[in-house]
Amino acid sequence: MAYIPTIGLEVHCELKTKNKAFSNSKNTYGLTANSEANEIDMGYPGALPTLNKEIFDFGIKCAKALNCKINIDGYFDRKNYFYPDNSKNYQITQQDYPIGYDGYIEIEVNQMKKKIYIEEIHLEEDTAKSFHEKGLTLLDFNRSGIPLIEIVSKPNISNEIEAVLYVEKLREILSYSDISDVKIEEGSMRCDVNVSIRKEEYDKLGHKVEIKNVGSINSIKLAILSEIERQSILFDNNELIVEQTRKYDEKANSTILMRTKETKNDYRYFPEPDIPRVHIDDAWINSIQLLVLPDELREKYRSYGINDIGINALISNKELNGFLNETISLGADPIISSNLLTGDILSYLNKTGVSIYNTYINPSILNRLVNKIKNDEISSKMSKVIIQKILETGKDIDVIVKEEGLIKITNKEELNLLINNIINNNSNFINSNLDNKIKLEKYIMGQVMKETNGNADPIISLELIKEVLIK
Amino acid sequence: MSNYFDLPLITINQKLKNKEIKPIDLVNEAFEKIENNMEYNAFITLNKEKAIKKAIELENKEVDNILFGIPIALKDNIITKDLKTTCASKILDDFIPIYDSTVVKKLNKLNAIIIGKTNMDEFAMGSTNETSYYGPVLNAIDKTKVPGGSSGGSAVSVALKMVPISLGSDTGGSIRQPSAFNNVVGLKPTYGRVSRYGLVAFSSSLDQIGPITNSVIDNAILLNAISGIDNKDLTSSETNEDFTSEIGKTISGMKVCIPNFYMSEKVDIEIRNKINKVINFLKLNNVLVDYVDINFIDYAIPLYQIIALAEASSNLARFDGVRFGYKTDKKITNIDDFYKYTRNEGFGDEVKRRIMIGSYVLSGKNVDIYFKKALSIRKKLSDNMYQLFNHYDLIIGPTTTGFPYDLGTNKSSNESFMDDILTIPVNMAGLPAMSLPIGSNKPIGLQIIGNMFDEKTIYKFAAFLESNYKRGE
Repeated sequence: MAYIPTIGLEVHCELKTKNKAFSNSKNTYGLTANSEANEIDMGYPGALPTLNKEIFDFGIKCAKALNCKINIDGYFDRKNYFYPDNSKNYQITQQDYPIGYDGYIEIEVNQMKKKIYIEEIHLEEDTAKSFHEKGLTLLDFNRSGIPLIEIVSKPNISNEIEAVLYVEKLREILSYSDISDVKIEEGSMRCDVNVSIRKEEYDKLGHKVEIKNVGSINSIKLAILSEIERQSILFDNNELIVEQTRKYDEKANSTILMRTKETKNDYRYFPEPDIPRVHIDDAWINSIQLLVLPDELREKYRSYGINDIGINALISNKELNGFLNETISLGADPIISSNLLTGDILSYLNKTGVSIYNTYINPSILNRLVNKIKNDEISSKMSKVIIQKILETGKDIDVIVKEEGLIKITNKEELNLLINNIINNNSNFINSNLDNKIKLEKYIMGQVMKETNGNADPIISLELIKEVLIK
Repeated sequence: MSNYFDLPLITINQKLKNKEIKPIDLVNEAFEKIENNMEYNAFITLNKEKAIKKAIELENKEVDNILFGIPIALKDNIITKDLKTTCASKILDDFIPIYDSTVVKKLNKLNAIIIGKTNMDEFAMGSTNETSYYGPVLNAIDKTKVPGGSSGGSAVSVALKMVPISLGSDTGGSIRQPSAFNNVVGLKPTYGRVSRYGLVAFSSSLDQIGPITNSVIDNAILLNAISGIDNKDLTSSETNEDFTSEIGKTISGMKVCIPNFYMSEKVDIEIRNKINKVINFLKLNNVLVDYVDINFIDYAIPLYQIIALAEASSNLARFDGVRFGYKTDKKITNIDDFYKYTRNEGFGDEVKRRIMIGSYVLSGKNVDIYFKKALSIRKKLSDNMYQLFNHYDLIIGPTTTGFPYDLGTNKSSNESFMDDILTIPVNMAGLPAMSLPIGSNKPIGLQIIGNMFDEKTIYKFAAFLESNYKRGE
């Protein structure tokens, strides 16, 4: 039988601060192992944490972006557990006073908006990174002490689709507000998924099963589905579901037991005595400006008349989105600009894997091109050639137009002559299709474009073709 | 053999300035006396080669401050770069740090000369020095007695003038009690006065580094050198003052109080008598002396057992054999066994006992039942003590309840905590306090407790007694 699932997510994101949370080491990724780790990051005897206040700037920004209330008292706690990647064998985190609480974000399910509630968000430090090689465990403390924000949702996610939409929305928000890189593959975003099922709507919640560190958005979906299935079979057989921690195995597409509640850690939280209280006043909170978030952008783009496919392509590519806004701010037509960016330009970027800011095109060049299209100086077909040439060679638009002979033919006499020639040369086809005007129009237009390499003005040409055919 | 360490720092400094003596003369005196007194076991590690090298280097430099060329001993829980730092524990027996503590940086800048690292109770847990992995230190006055602890080596090295000055650390009395037991001057500064960066943490909210010396003025001079705000210790405070500035002034008109708790039957009658003599002396010198009650002061021991040990259980978690220090030789196949064997073999019994208690009071619901309740009572006790300073300049009383006892007495853990009954309340409140010798044949310490960041008044008061009160009386 079918059961009702309840899902909650705990998402960890690395903050894009310059320095680590509790030492002056740099916040880096991909450097030589242990090159950015000092005695604090390594948990050496006698070392004490400092406090990088920047993490509160990020915490406040995140609280605002996720509609959370903000705790004005910044306290830290110690979470005690032994693990080789945990340099002090305690982690500095926020247990009693998370930076933000009682928030929400909105997702759209089948054109209906749904609020996913956020229990709390708290600041903490990352652990070292472990590598397992040839029976050895190697540790890189460059990651030790990098600031994290943990975002804990309430369990009001109903299924795998909502869970994926929630994570995608979180990624958009954190990325657009410049809080985190949210790269799951590089580990700057990590997700733990809690799943429980129950028989009926009015039943109390079932025992929670936590699936640790799910590696991709697609895996979140698959992990939830396979866990619901596993628990349903247990329920069907009247077996007990024990509170436990599991991990998702992508190859097997199933979850594997890590530990049950009986062996669950007692983290012995207590207030961190080495870091005094940080008071967060209104002035501090007000000084943190929120950047424009994706939902506001969506509304803006809709008001420009950009279609939903274009909007989604823009939002999911933050750079493209920034580029569009720069171009529009120069006065360019939003729809034409958006079409060019999400069309030929995006496919070039996807093909070559380069950032738009590392190509020959810039907002002012794009603005000139958009204006030429809008003023009917060049056709959209010509623009394809021009964009390709700009991206490949960096040549000026006017130079390309001249070299490629891309001048739009608008002279009516010239076009009329051409049309009449086409009719004369194809009299058999024309005479046998006189009853189908539309077919003839299309045919003649095709020939016109063929003869002019697509340079004929399509609107003027069509007018002239219609005139000729009426006669 | 020279005896320059009988002289106050000011006189030694003058002789160095006059080129009458060189730093190497002082270093030689230190090592000669240490080597003649090896049986006291005051040091774990000597820094002989580097100390001699440094002394010779200093010969060509200008004597620009009062600690220039002065030998100093450091308790072995103060981190010294490239110089073994063991905390008197097997688990750090071979540990050579990669950085310097803030106090060591300050001392190096002043060109003081680090002679060695002194013996102590393992991880500063104990009050007899008997929990040291390297064996106990002997009492400087009576070799058959305990020297006190945990800064036993620092107190004995100064008492026997192996060095003129030393640093200890005080979490519940670890500077004051051994100072009292060896007739030297030891001060626990206000919490935050001296940076804890590079002090191997026992209890982060109680620990404080402080000076141990033979005279009050030398003590103030050493505190001048090591105090100040440190951006590496968020609990440190800005201090920009000269602690010697009030020394030599009269104490007439001052008001002091004695908590009744400090003169109860728990305190040896001989010590109480001695304190009463001091009180008479004070009254003769126009000092007002009142007796007061302090609510919750009798809770100090349980507060210590909960707060200090809870923090310790977390602070000592990093000693796991993964990144530094002792690791088990046992063939193990999983990380949990690696931790268990390493820590079981590396820590001594007292340390293990305290980690267990500390873990217990933080486990599950105990954190509310014990730890959080203790924090709230600590605040009440502290407030009660602060309020006294609205009416009095100082709180005084004995430092210890008794005299040094025989080595190997093997007091139970609980009895051992009772040794600190008069010193722990001060750490709970973060106040500064000194132990000043007032005994003659038998060592007795007068504890002088000041208001927050008011060490100056302690030094004024102590210096007056030091020069005017006749200890033999």
